[in-house]
Amino acid sequence: MIGISVKNFSISFGNTTILENISFDVKEGEIVTILGPSGCGKSTILRSIASLEDKYTGEIFLNETCLVNSKDKCNSDIGYIFQDYALFPHLNVKENIEFALYKLSTNEKQKKVDKLLKQFDLIEHKNKQIHELSGGQQQRVSIARVIAYEPKVLLLDEPFSNLDTILRAKTKSWLKNLIKELGLSAILVTHDQKEALSMSDKIGIINNKKIVQFDTPKNIYEKPNSFYVANFLSEINTLPNEFFENNIDNISSKYILRVNDTKLSNIESEYKLQLEDISYCGDYNELKLSFYNKPSSSIIVKLPSISNISLEKDLYLDLNKNNIIKVIL
Amino acid sequence: MKYLNKLTISSVILTLLICIPALLLFLNIFVESENWQHLVDTVLFEYIFNSLYIMFGVAFLTSIIGFTTAYFTTFYKFTGSSFFQYGLILPFAIPTYIISYVYGGMFDITGTVTTYILDLLGKTLDEVIFFDIMSIEGAIIVMSLVLYPYVYLISKTYLQAESSSIVDASKTLGLSNFQIFYKVIIPISRPAIIAGVILAVMEAVADFGVMDYYGVSTFVTGIFRTWYGMGSVEDASKLASMLMLFVFLLIFLEKYQRRNKRYKSNGKDFKPIRKQKLEGKSNIFAFILCFIPFFLGFLLPFTQMSYWFYISYESIIDEDFLTIFYQTLSLGIFTSILITFLAFIFTYNIRLHKNKVAESLTQISKLGYSIPGAVVAVGILSFFAIVDNSLDILLSGTIIAVIFGYIVRFLAISINNYESGFSKIPQTYDDACKTMNISSFQTFYKVTLPLIKNSIMASFIIIFIEVIKELPLTMILRPFNFDTLAVYSHELVGQAQVIESSVPAMFIVILGIISVLAIAHKMKN
Repeated sequence: MIGISVKNFSISFGNTTILENISFDVKEGEIVTILGPSGCGKSTILRSIASLEDKYTGEIFLNETCLVNSKDKCNSDIGYIFQDYALFPHLNVKENIEFALYKLSTNEKQKKVDKLLKQFDLIEHKNKQIHELSGGQQQRVSIARVIAYEPKVLLLDEPFSNLDTILRAKTKSWLKNLIKELGLSAILVTHDQKEALSMSDKIGIINNKKIVQFDTPKNIYEKPNSFYVANFLSEINTLPNEFFENNIDNISSKYILRVNDTKLSNIESEYKLQLEDISYCGDYNELKLSFYNKPSSSIIVKLPSISNISLEKDLYLDLNKNNIIKVIL
Repeated sequence: MKYLNKLTISSVILTLLICIPALLLFLNIFVESENWQHLVDTVLFEYIFNSLYIMFGVAFLTSIIGFTTAYFTTFYKFTGSSFFQYGLILPFAIPTYIISYVYGGMFDITGTVTTYILDLLGKTLDEVIFFDIMSIEGAIIVMSLVLYPYVYLISKTYLQAESSSIVDASKTLGLSNFQIFYKVIIPISRPAIIAGVILAVMEAVADFGVMDYYGVSTFVTGIFRTWYGMGSVEDASKLASMLMLFVFLLIFLEKYQRRNKRYKSNGKDFKPIRKQKLEGKSNIFAFILCFIPFFLGFLLPFTQMSYWFYISYESIIDEDFLTIFYQTLSLGIFTSILITFLAFIFTYNIRLHKNKVAESLTQISKLGYSIPGAVVAVGILSFFAIVDNSLDILLSGTIIAVIFGYIVRFLAISINNYESGFSKIPQTYDDACKTMNISSFQTFYKVTLPLIKNSIMASFIIIFIEVIKELPLTMILRPFNFDTLAVYSHELVGQAQVIESSVPAMFIVILGIISVLAIAHKMKN
């Protein structure tokens, strides 16, 4: 198994700097996700690791080998799954899978392709043209094509973005198991927070050209090191600072509560709320409430459709202090 | 890397070669010549006036015919509407000079139709109101009959892509069909109409065959007269350079007016137009409106040509004709293969390099198509005269000069074709091959070539037909005694053998129909 190490990676296109001094490691067998908004340069990192971009500065190591000196030649230990799958439309499923196996004899090629067709549940589709397959099947073919030449590292560029919600959930766990089963190291690039949290051993969040936090999903979610990270990962409520400290002029930090952790109560407490708006969302109602003592601060609460809380009575914030996160702005 | 450099170097050399004739012509503007003042005093203003008159006349007619037919076939179902969708493109198959020969042969003073009608009425020409087809107005009408498909095609594509939701919105606002037409459809289609009109006008201004036969003095006929009549290379070059600047001005206007305009829907919000069924008088009106341009632009001239072909082919098709046929065919095939190959170098270079230099080279090399054939020919003669004198060889008046002229003129068509083909092959295919360590050659052979082969075929066919149709450039640059079907047809007309000229013309038109059907097929898919 092989790991990847990216050191002081920077890249600019023309006068525009896309990424600056990015460093992170992917240990053997790990799945690392690079998470960030669209257009932040996530895919550029993957393309550079795969030697599809050569304009970067810094170093990329594949185990001990530095890839900087071979920028124009791709390393066969690296496999790349493209967002649009990049399947060749003039070849059928079988021909696409065996495309990279040009060094093998016909017999070896046949054996390997048959094994992959079986493993990826594609036997009945092997003679079909690419346009005859569903999105999920196309994705399986693109992964099989890469796995065929036995890379040690897998680079996945938004691999689920073309799948519908149901198929996406199914494919995520299938792909995670496959990567672990084959003992590959993988870097996944996505803008989908849930995808990153559920797939990865580590997540690196990009903001303003830099990786602002690189940690396990649990740590990133529970201990975000900045307001940006906390806000990017899930919906949050910002609580008034004066509820927690005397120095209300402290504007360098904020106290936040994730919307999912924000609960209501009819039992009196110091955090009395006033209902401002209510939206029906099927299995829950989304309530917008403002603090009685500070009407300029409002919060969002997702109240399950079946709940003991009565909206006719006074409403209070049921604050579990363990859920409050203090973040630096 | 070495391979890529070779491609760029080839592109630079080719672009330079293509540009030199145009640059030489441009420099000729500043060269003094003895007859120029005489030309200015006598004919130059006639050339300018006639060229402008033709320009506005063709613009007026093609915009009306092209746009109204595009509107009706896009928005309505009426008798024959499915046929007219494609039938209205068929006039494209007939080169302007051929339709002018046919109409001249039918409607001039001694024309077959004129004589027949006079006989029928039992009157002489002096006793009836007679419109002389062999006039500048006649030239405008016959050219518009085969050039309106430019406006028709561009407007139709635009209307299909852009107007569905706009029309639906207008209907919900209570506008009638007629109000939607003049308050919404015409204003939004203006960029498309102008784009089509400018293409038609550029072809009309560059025409030689029609003007020569109808005796209209324009820049192009002026170039020929100065060249052959006065033997003045410098004056012909000056006229050619003026025409070239005039055409560049038109291109600039076209680019300027569509600088911020989109011609295609982004696809995601594309909604097909629900066609309204016409009945009664509206149905008859729409049918007649579409039938007239189809009839006058294709059916009538084609039928007349077929008849003339039938009565004269035995006297024309002899050994000499077969030699001309063979020469035309070999020239067409060889040039098409060469241009298709050269255009591939330009476009593949862009795909591999993606740099601004490669893109600029391609854009420059595409300019040749907008320069009229006669102008290109004069530029090449000036260029080859320098080469001949410097290297003590003879390129002028050889088949090399003709082929070089075709390259300058038609490379752009092939490049456009490839650009469209390559745009449909995602860059990720090349990237995928690279990540799988497939060599550049294997990527080209196993992925690019199979996916681009339709563009290669289309390029070959279109260039082949363009070469076969080409007249002014071939006439100026061809070696002594070397005829093509187009030149032969023109020469027969010059010898007052209009009926016989339909034999070589028929071969050209049939090849043209094949190309039009290919365009129609492409539109359908």
